[in-house]
Amino acid sequence: MMIETDVLVVGAGPAGSTAAKHAAFNGADVILIDKKSEIGAPKRCAEGVSKEGLKKLGIKPKSRWVTHEIENVRLVSPNGTVVWLNQDKVKLPEAGYVLERKVFDKHMAMDAARAGAKIKIKTLAKGLKKEGDQIIVNAESMGESFDIRAKIVIGADGPESRVGRWAGLNTVFMPKHMESGVQFEMVRVELEDKNSLEFYFGSLAPGGYAWIFPKGDDIANVGLGVLPTKTKKSAYQHLLEFVKSCPATKNAQAVEINVGGVPVGGPVRNMVTDNVMIVGDAAGQVNPLTGGGIISGMTGGLFAGEVSGAAISDNEITKDRLAEYEKRWHEDRGDSFKKYLKAKDYLLSLSDEELDSIALAFKETEFENINTGELIKNLIKVSPKALLKLGKLF
Amino acid sequence: MIVNEWCMYCGECAGVCPQCVIEVCETGLKFDEQTCEDCKFCVMVCPVGALEKDEQK
Repeated sequence: MMIETDVLVVGAGPAGSTAAKHAAFNGADVILIDKKSEIGAPKRCAEGVSKEGLKKLGIKPKSRWVTHEIENVRLVSPNGTVVWLNQDKVKLPEAGYVLERKVFDKHMAMDAARAGAKIKIKTLAKGLKKEGDQIIVNAESMGESFDIRAKIVIGADGPESRVGRWAGLNTVFMPKHMESGVQFEMVRVELEDKNSLEFYFGSLAPGGYAWIFPKGDDIANVGLGVLPTKTKKSAYQHLLEFVKSCPATKNAQAVEINVGGVPVGGPVRNMVTDNVMIVGDAAGQVNPLTGGGIISGMTGGLFAGEVSGAAISDNEITKDRLAEYEKRWHEDRGDSFKKYLKAKDYLLSLSDEELDSIALAFKETEFENINTGELIKNLIKVSPKALLKLGKLF
Repeated sequence: MIVNEWCMYCGECAGVCPQCVIEVCETGLKFDEQTCEDCKFCVMVCPVGALEKDEQK
């Protein structure tokens, strides 16, 4: 059996569904496949997303998939020193809403369907080959094997991306660039402030951090990411220790466990090759500092969808034409990812003691007028060593 | 490769596999053992320690 389409999108996460939606909007015939029986589940995500990011993508928040609105950020150093950041004063990535991804992802797929995309769930891509100027993807669904012939294939198949690799793109993430993430969704979480995202730094999560993202009432995502190259324990073991030691979770009970890898080494070198584009986690479109990837992945999906739709309608499916997607994505991010990468390297270079002294210095700082000068002045006071490390990086 | 029962098929192993030998299904992992070069990156990154190299093979 052979199915023909203009654009095939593999993976119905937020990036894939956004790509499918916009390719369809731009007039292309689109098929969107996902290997899972339920789009959006299980989640592999802490579910934080910025309001500004959603707005830029033209998505209006809906009560069906927003669980909670965030106002503040609470940063906790290894010895428990707290630094508060206020949303109004500091622009914070990933602060805004905490989503219900299971519902959100489905809604994004529904939007793609409403734009005209055909969705095939429980459908796994098994392989890809080039035939003439088209791509044939072999897929399997409910015991049936079939081929899909497409002019353009968009790989939105997550950090385990195979579409990109099949097409000859290097999308392998090295262990030192892949956070090992694990999370409980918990009830009876006792937070200082129910409207704050909480971040915990230091050796409790080597190479990463722990988080508590509130989902309303006494419910929260409690998780952490570690770099497997920096610890011998599994992320799960680290999380058990964190939950035991953190005051907010001493009475908390888990109702769900989530796991997953987060590529934090920056975007892959090439996101486009002949007839194939990759978007989202598959392309490393993840903030290297925070590990947040919903907005940047969906932005990738938006551009990939628009570019593929336009290329189809102009019947000009060349690598150069498709490369517009990659160019637009980089322009949109600017140099922010490079800065986040440097900030992450700096953060990871600090010892628990240095983190504590920095937290102490900023504990009383009003973050209204923060600038580089203030930052350096404060750092010099508390930790010349930490400052020296900063100097080496920038 | 031994895939223990508590694997949740998140696919992090497949993401770091330099040989691309791991197929991640909704509820299963398939390893192409012939192509595997034994780097054990998959074992190392698993968030829940669900993978074990089968030393018998």
